[in-house]
Amino acid sequence: MFARLASKSLLNRKGSVVLTVMAMTVSIFVLLGVEHIRAQSKQSFNSTVSGVDLIVGARTGSLNLLLYSVFRLGSPTNNIDWETYQQISTKAKVAWSIPISLGDSHKGFRVMGTTTDYFKYFSYGKKRHLEFSSGQPFAELFDVVLGAQVATKLGYSLGDKVILAHGLGTTSFKLHDKSPFNVVGILAATGTPIDQTVHVSLQGIEAIHLDWQAIKTQAGTLTSAQLQALELEPKNITALMLGLSSRMATFGVQRDINNYRKEPLSAILPGVALSELWQMMGLLENTLRLISGLILISALLGLSAMMLASIKEREQEIHLLRVIGAPPFYLFLLIELEALLISFISMFAGTATLYLCLLATQDALSTNFGLHIGLNILSFNNILFLLLVAGATMVAAAIPSMTAYRGINRGQ
Amino acid sequence: MAIQLKDVHFAYPETPDNDILHIANWSLSTGEQVFVHGPSGGGKSTLLNLLSGMLTATSGEVNVLGERLETMGARQRDRFRANHIGYIFQQFNLIPYIDAIDNIQLAHQFANKNPQPVLIDEIKSLLSTFHIPQADWHNPVAKLSIGQQQRIAIARALINRPQLLIADEPTSSLDQKNRDNFMSTLMSLVSEHGISLLFVSHDMSLASYFDRIDALSEINAAGEGS
Repeated sequence: MFARLASKSLLNRKGSVVLTVMAMTVSIFVLLGVEHIRAQSKQSFNSTVSGVDLIVGARTGSLNLLLYSVFRLGSPTNNIDWETYQQISTKAKVAWSIPISLGDSHKGFRVMGTTTDYFKYFSYGKKRHLEFSSGQPFAELFDVVLGAQVATKLGYSLGDKVILAHGLGTTSFKLHDKSPFNVVGILAATGTPIDQTVHVSLQGIEAIHLDWQAIKTQAGTLTSAQLQALELEPKNITALMLGLSSRMATFGVQRDINNYRKEPLSAILPGVALSELWQMMGLLENTLRLISGLILISALLGLSAMMLASIKEREQEIHLLRVIGAPPFYLFLLIELEALLISFISMFAGTATLYLCLLATQDALSTNFGLHIGLNILSFNNILFLLLVAGATMVAAAIPSMTAYRGINRGQ
Repeated sequence: MAIQLKDVHFAYPETPDNDILHIANWSLSTGEQVFVHGPSGGGKSTLLNLLSGMLTATSGEVNVLGERLETMGARQRDRFRANHIGYIFQQFNLIPYIDAIDNIQLAHQFANKNPQPVLIDEIKSLLSTFHIPQADWHNPVAKLSIGQQQRIAIARALINRPQLLIADEPTSSLDQKNRDNFMSTLMSLVSEHGISLLFVSHDMSLASYFDRIDALSEINAAGEGS
């Protein structure tokens, strides 16, 4: 009877109740959405690289090295000599190494020169190795393997020709158009910057630049066959990733590399650098949380104002309930229950709307922004937020409830 | 005695020196029906709120159905009111957005009376007695006529088998025909069940239904106020 009275009372004031529910639904949608996307982004961010013990580049800060080697953002301060790479990669404690060479692009997507060890050893997420949605790793000089998003956005499939451009701009006037690359593989989506990367062999990178230099110096051009015949070896690379035979050796190898005499190098632990980078985003994270919190507070104040106005309208109803024996606490609880019902409806509507929005935009977010947002909205944090909303509703409703209670106790 | 008031004073806490009500001695016997008339502002609402335990007297004795209301706690007074006193108003007798059955059931919720299955049968029986068509039992009472609403209000007031019924201008919003029907139903019911009735109105034409007629101005020595 108690719950029926509360629900019918709300139905009787459906105009103002619907508006309040809408305001709270929007705020809960924003609150849960921000938290969900934040958590998913953090998870996606942290899973960008795994299983790599050290990343080595020219002497620079750890964040810069992480940004250009893993996230393909920014530029390296210098290159690493190929001889240095060979010396490091043949150290006893190094189990495997992946050289990477950056600097070219294709229609805004970064080109990364590497070896086939990249497809063998590099892992992301919970040590998941790269998988091919179609094709295979590059084997020939002018083979290219595309990240999932590159293939989807540019509409490439196996066998298509890709012309790389010198530099990183979206529009480049320095095209390596004499040496088109052949798409031989497309990687499965990973939700990491790999999806937006064009992978070629280190020799391929050397070949296009050798050809381009030849044109620039008017020394004539080399045919593909001639380039294939050359045993190309890179002179330098941008960075390298190392897997060690023992985790215990990490700090020792890191120290050795940092003290390398022939050229100044930096070796970083990717996990540590990733958490440093995420900490820098803490301000943005907290700002988003603050904004969604303020939106919720304003919706709760709206709820409180609506309930308070309803108390004034319902003086006769409250008097009648008192006359038939309802104690003041019953009326206090009735108003609290009405507020909680509004809150629960809003929570359901907000959660359902968020779920439907994510369901509808999941593919678009993945394809266009490389954001892999899961549909499991009801994480521990979000359940905690919903409980917090219920608690905050009771606090907000306490103002009108107490007004009614005090009015009653004064013998209205 | 159904009601016994002795040297009752009432003033609001904000104006402690201004007595709204001062009744030296007034009583209502068990099973008696009294008509109290008086102008607006004569302390009528205050008197009814004191008798129902909604307000407590500043001083004096308020004895209702053998119980001293001023010695009870607030929760006890609420429970006492629900169990023993029926109330009918001029208007807003019912919660408008719930149906007749729920309105009557709600009044029962606060009293310690019959178990649920018996209650529903009793409510239906009462509604039939008051000629409320079955089709209207589950309609929000706001959709029913004023006459029907007042009849449901009597049913609501009687559901807990009260020993005292307080009627506060219950016929003011009714037309002549509905008023006569209401009065005859009410008077026959209180006589049949031996209920004490305190009927307050300014409409002297209703006095003919009662053997005892009291003027509020004669009861309340404070005279003016409220």
